[in-house]
Amino acid sequence: MRVNLPGLYIALGLVLAGLIHIVAVLTLPLLAPRNAQARLAELGPVNTMIQLPAPAPGRQVMPMIAPDVRYATCHFDLANGPVRVRARGADDLWLIAFYTPEGDNFYTVAGSDMKTNEIDMVISTADQSVAEADVDAPEAFDNIVVINSPTTEGIVLIRAPLAGPSGAARAEQALKTTSCGPHSVARSSP
Amino acid sequence: MRTLGYFIGTFAVALVLGIGSAWYMIERGSPLTTVKAGPWESWLSEGNPHADPYTKAHLARSGRLPLTSTAARYFVAHADDQGSSLTSSCEYLIIGSPLNARWWSLAVYDDYGALIDNPSGRHSFNSEEAIRRADGTFHVTLARNARPENWLPSGTEHRRGLTLMLRVYGPRDTDVLGIGQIPVERLPKIERGACE
Repeated sequence: MRVNLPGLYIALGLVLAGLIHIVAVLTLPLLAPRNAQARLAELGPVNTMIQLPAPAPGRQVMPMIAPDVRYATCHFDLANGPVRVRARGADDLWLIAFYTPEGDNFYTVAGSDMKTNEIDMVISTADQSVAEADVDAPEAFDNIVVINSPTTEGIVLIRAPLAGPSGAARAEQALKTTSCGPHSVARSSP
Repeated sequence: MRTLGYFIGTFAVALVLGIGSAWYMIERGSPLTTVKAGPWESWLSEGNPHADPYTKAHLARSGRLPLTSTAARYFVAHADDQGSSLTSSCEYLIIGSPLNARWWSLAVYDDYGALIDNPSGRHSFNSEEAIRRADGTFHVTLARNARPENWLPSGTEHRRGLTLMLRVYGPRDTDVLGIGQIPVERLPKIERGACE
């Protein structure tokens, strides 16, 4: 049987092009310049809530950041136990989003889904206990949202969209009442 | 010798085709990953932990940290309704219809996603502050110099490339997967006006 030579080269070229395409798509995220989550994580120590400066020209933590949203972020690390995130002045525009170090938004809490403007959350890995020390009443847990993180480290990004012209001061003030820190866990039962 | 030449040629063509198609599908999107409506483009799986490799690569290049499409939808435009690239040398009339969402915002950036410096310090109009007409629509004028109604400044520099982003937080209409639905005819029209 005679092999059609140009046809062979075309087939070889297409297979090669396909392979190069796949390799390029899969390696690009690794070669990309510093991503948003890495930039946010470097703003301060872990398990601390940090308010981002109001977005302005030359003062952007991320490209295409919303100019009319105020942000606060916490780089959480669950290696030493669960982490608690609280927001006392949340309004129903707020969006509290949880990201893995790869930038996957694995969970979002919307202020509008909450009964009160006090949002209490505990982030833990699947195998960590979030039972609080010295608390017997399980109903105390009713208002706490427990979030299972697929990774031991990650990013919490709180978005406080501005409501009206005087919204900026109010949102910035409300973000000051947010906190992020280690969650006390019962070590042993009495 | 000739065979070697053919091999090198084949490899070079494959390299261009492979990288070129990858770049195009990551940068511009494809029907697999993006919804296009007029000048607006939206990546459906942005931020989703189960996103496809193209969306993940696109996001890694963008340096953004978006919410998933169940919490928010993002629409980006680099061109006007006629398909010409947005530039600060032209004026644009943006006509928006009411959007069924908790909050939305229309912001302008340069080609690199940076906010544009301007004396009035305005970079966006959102659902809480845009002046609306009696029929519920809003008219935003994207121009270098002050305009009446909603003026979105495009800076003092000439021939600067512009990017518009419409972010819609908490869309109220969702499909069975919980993805926020924004009817494409509701997306703002971008009409080019006078150019310098």
